[in-house]
Amino acid sequence: MDGKRILIVDDDPDYVSAVKMVLEKANYVVEAKYSPQDGYRALENSEFDLVILDCMMGRGAEGIIVARKLRKKKELGELPILMVTGIRDQTGFFFVGDPRDETFLPVDGFLEKPVVPDVLLKEVGKLLQGRKTSESKKGE
Amino acid sequence: MSNEPVILIIDDEEIVRDSCTLVLSKCNYRIYAAPDGNAGLKMVEEHKPDLVFVDLKMPGISGMEVLERLQKIDTTIVAIVITGYATIDTAVEAMKRGAYDFLPKPFSTDELRLITKRGVDKRRLLLDAIALRREKEIIRENFTSIVSHELKSPLFAVQQTLYAFLAGAAGEISPAQVEMLERIRNRVDGMLKLINSWVEMTSIDFRQLRERFKPLDIPALLSKALEVLQARAVGRNIRIVTHFPSSVEPVDGDEGTLLEVFLNIIGNAIKYSDTDRDVSIAIEDKKHELRISISDTGVGIEKEDIPFIFEDFYRGKAQSKTGELGSGLGLAISKRIINAHNGSIAVESERGKGSTFTVTLSRGREKQDRR
Repeated sequence: MDGKRILIVDDDPDYVSAVKMVLEKANYVVEAKYSPQDGYRALENSEFDLVILDCMMGRGAEGIIVARKLRKKKELGELPILMVTGIRDQTGFFFVGDPRDETFLPVDGFLEKPVVPDVLLKEVGKLLQGRKTSESKKGE
Repeated sequence: MSNEPVILIIDDEEIVRDSCTLVLSKCNYRIYAAPDGNAGLKMVEEHKPDLVFVDLKMPGISGMEVLERLQKIDTTIVAIVITGYATIDTAVEAMKRGAYDFLPKPFSTDELRLITKRGVDKRRLLLDAIALRREKEIIRENFTSIVSHELKSPLFAVQQTLYAFLAGAAGEISPAQVEMLERIRNRVDGMLKLINSWVEMTSIDFRQLRERFKPLDIPALLSKALEVLQARAVGRNIRIVTHFPSSVEPVDGDEGTLLEVFLNIIGNAIKYSDTDRDVSIAIEDKKHELRISISDTGVGIEKEDIPFIFEDFYRGKAQSKTGELGSGLGLAISKRIINAHNGSIAVESERGKGSTFTVTLSRGREKQDRR
């Protein structure tokens, strides 16, 4: 998994730095953005292999909005999205562990904050494996 | 009530209106007067009085009717009845129609001042009570979202940093450091759990629970709970033995909250048991009710703790076998949920021998008839 690029979008810098440390120790290249807008812009402008998206940002569940926007965008439609959220954050319409409607919440993985490092690395590894590498995509 | 209390006097005698106005204007009131019921009620709409004096005997609409219409406009307006022929009967009648007090003619200026002050105070209390109730409601509504974000976010950051630390992301740490960090991590964990339970308790609207009721397959619901708790039981080598009848008639209830109750009680049974023990779950299908009992052979509950274990934030003396601290809210929430289901929850326990929690859910009347 060396050198795979991960973007973290989360409005809590302290939280981000803890997650970043764990991922960097596992040899990922990690960048962080601290608002849904900046996060989306970064994804448009440079290539990442995975995005870790905080669910509750700004005025509410803005992470979900970002996920939906990403899915609609052709070039970014296959980017794996790992969503993290506080346990039972009141998003008003879903709980962690509930069956998820793919169009309603189009993410590939879903974890509760705080995330145990082993669990995080396992999930990130799994999602990256499912992703076609940029090489094979070009070959299509 | 804005700074000056507003007072309205409805009386057909000019001398009464004038005298009252004269006496009261020396105090800090804004005063209006009307010669009959209709004019008075119009002024009520216009000036929004805090206190209204109503003469009972007037031409046009009667004082009694004015009282009634005042109630319809605003129940917090304080009405005081003035009358020349004070009898117990009329007083009682006026009170029934919402009057707060009674002022018999003739009255002294002191009497008028005193009764006015009392009436104005009463109105202030009524308004305060309403404002408080509204405030409480807003706090309850905002509580969930405020707590979710403002309290939990910093704890997530702390906990995530500790996780990174413990995972060696900031370099190797010694066993003694690991132990200390783990202690911090456990306390933060306990705090997060407490906040979650607290949020849950304030966010469940117990009055609306009934609207979500549907027939539930209780053995299936228990199996769902066991699935969630599986890892915890296996981790402590605890076997969960179920005694379910081959078929169980459905019971009406709310799936989400009942699942929460079973997760809580079975989770406790696992938490307070020694390793290598059994936790047993039995369903007894009676005609009118379903009894679900969850038994463990764990630490049990101290006799003096038993009456209080369903109270908010009460934690018994018994230590869990896993070292985790509860929030002291799990059973309190469970009891509320079961009560909202018209059911009951009971415990039998002996210190050192174990506990049995029994949840009884009653079946609706029509269900009984069909059987």
